[in-house]
Amino acid sequence: MLERIHKQGRRLVTAAGLALAVAIGGTAAAQGESKEPIVFGGSIPLTGVFAFAGIHIHAGLSDYVDWINSQGGINGRPVQYVMEDTGYLVDRSVATYKKLSGRHRICCYYGDSTGFMQAIAADLNNAKNMIMSGASFATALTRVDKHPFQFIPGPSYSQMFAIILEYIAAEANKEGKKATVAFVYSDTEFGRDPIESSRAYARNLGIDVVEEIMTKPGSVDVSAEVIKLRRKRPDYVIFHGYVLSPINEFMVQMRQMGLNTKFMGTFWTMDRLIIDKMGKDADGFMGVMPYNYFGEDEDGPMYRVMHEQARKSDPNQAYRPTPYVQGWFNAMVWTEVVKRTLDAGKPLTGENLKEALDSIKDWDTGGIIGVPVTVKDNSFPVGRIYRVNAAAGRFEPVSDWIHLD
Amino acid sequence: MDWLFFAEVSLAGLATGGLYALIALGFVIIYKATRVINFAIGEIMMFAAYLFLSFAGGMQLPPLIALPLAVLGGTILGGVVEKVMIRPMLGESPISVVMVTIGLASILVGMAEIIWTADPQLLPEFLPRDPVFLGEIYLAPKIAYGFLIGATVLVLYLLYFRFSRGGVALRATASDQAAAYSMGINVRRVFNLAWVFGSLAASLAGILVSATGGLSPQSGAIGLSVLVIVIVGGLDSILGALIAGLFVGWLETVAGAFFGGEYRMLATFSVLALILIIRPYGLFGTHEIERL
Repeated sequence: MLERIHKQGRRLVTAAGLALAVAIGGTAAAQGESKEPIVFGGSIPLTGVFAFAGIHIHAGLSDYVDWINSQGGINGRPVQYVMEDTGYLVDRSVATYKKLSGRHRICCYYGDSTGFMQAIAADLNNAKNMIMSGASFATALTRVDKHPFQFIPGPSYSQMFAIILEYIAAEANKEGKKATVAFVYSDTEFGRDPIESSRAYARNLGIDVVEEIMTKPGSVDVSAEVIKLRRKRPDYVIFHGYVLSPINEFMVQMRQMGLNTKFMGTFWTMDRLIIDKMGKDADGFMGVMPYNYFGEDEDGPMYRVMHEQARKSDPNQAYRPTPYVQGWFNAMVWTEVVKRTLDAGKPLTGENLKEALDSIKDWDTGGIIGVPVTVKDNSFPVGRIYRVNAAAGRFEPVSDWIHLD
Repeated sequence: MDWLFFAEVSLAGLATGGLYALIALGFVIIYKATRVINFAIGEIMMFAAYLFLSFAGGMQLPPLIALPLAVLGGTILGGVVEKVMIRPMLGESPISVVMVTIGLASILVGMAEIIWTADPQLLPEFLPRDPVFLGEIYLAPKIAYGFLIGATVLVLYLLYFRFSRGGVALRATASDQAAAYSMGINVRRVFNLAWVFGSLAASLAGILVSATGGLSPQSGAIGLSVLVIVIVGGLDSILGALIAGLFVGWLETVAGAFFGGEYRMLATFSVLALILIIRPYGLFGTHEIERL
């Protein structure tokens, strides 16, 4: 009898042990699955020629990830951000991508240049394991057939030119005259990007492109180019492919010649840096910006969150440059895309993430962009024209939000 | 043909060429005396320009004080680099010495990013802003005054190397190091002097170029583009640097203005290819004959 009880007891203990082990194991497995981090990766240019933007892009991405984790992550899963400095060199960006994607199950990746985005596209198309956006606004990325897993966190450079040209055409209509423009761009892939498509776009809007000037990167002097522009006297000069110099030289010299030309630029030029460095010479400079500027009177829940998080991470920085907002917006889109995919009960594959991206329609960005946005051809074709008020040290909007159809 | 346009563009090109010549001078002096091609010349330019930014912008010193201070800073940097990094390499293969200068360039870029951040900068205005008109011909003020300053320094250099003791010692060392040494010339001091004078020219050029072209830690890249001018003029010819600088500046500006920006580099490198075929030692360089 005692022996039977002993045997039953041993069986019970064994069964209980097994049940406990299964329960613990099961819970651990369940926990492991639900808590598996969602990984954002990045080839980030913290040094090199693009470091002036890379540092702020990194801050924007880091701050967003900190904030989303403080909110419980995405659908309860924490977000991990892994990155390495690339020096803005394509080979190092590719090596970083290979290294990080080999170590982590990355779903969304920040590419630091058009060169990198194009170099990695074939790899990405084969792997079909993530989506990628980044610093590039290259028109080539709007080719959905060639870049199915990449997107632009705003309008492409061609779309930026289109928004500028729409504004110029509207202004010319108000004055009842035909506008003339000149394109001034750098002899780089970045600089040449929107020129060809913009010629046709301007023609369709009835705008005369009276001069096109391509400058050598790192030009010592642009006065010969200014002399050419003096003879054409364009109403507008649109700069592209620069951050700061030689825009200042063109503006100062053309004004010295008594020309009434208005000067405009695209995203990477449109930061407060140009006001800080040029001072009163920057007054009147205009251009296109897809996001609301940091530190303005705009409103929206995400706009406020961004400011709170920025203050929390570095209270000494009163202003955050546009690359910070760009980095933040990239991470916002990734989060939205991941959330839509998980909500649909689908795994985080490139195809599912891309499907979620394409489903973004009239999306309210919470004040980061002033109007609801819709993804079209891998991009968010929206922007607004701003003008420098040098005395106030800020960009002021001079148009409504322009959403290209 | 619009002759006024041609004249304006030509003058702008020559003025740019004057600045090229000043940078090329920095290369040539160092090469002439030490047979070292200093690949860090652009970064020394950049460093001096940042010093000017700190003195004139950060410390609010008047440009007339900030400019010589910044040039002095760049010059001291050149002297120290020679003493600390280049002199220990004496007797090593030229490739090793060149690699040291490439490493130095990298270090200077990194230091600039740490000290002054990676943000693009504009130098505080220190040249007159009123446009310069020669008759009806317009010349941008910065490039006109930059050319005047550069040309003055070039003439002073030419006179110094022609008539002073230091200049004669440098030319003697360039011509035959062993003979110069046996005649009592302190060759090591000449080497240091060459780096000091080369860096002085580069520092001044760096500030003048950055005044028009802006400044960033990567601005030193212009130093390499000027290598073309040095090869065309002759690596060891000061007169060659002057003439080739003016010619290349004029040619690329005229080519860019009349045919489009894409023809600037094409014109420059076509000349380089032609010179390398006809006179591989440059227009005014020493034709060394090696008997095997």
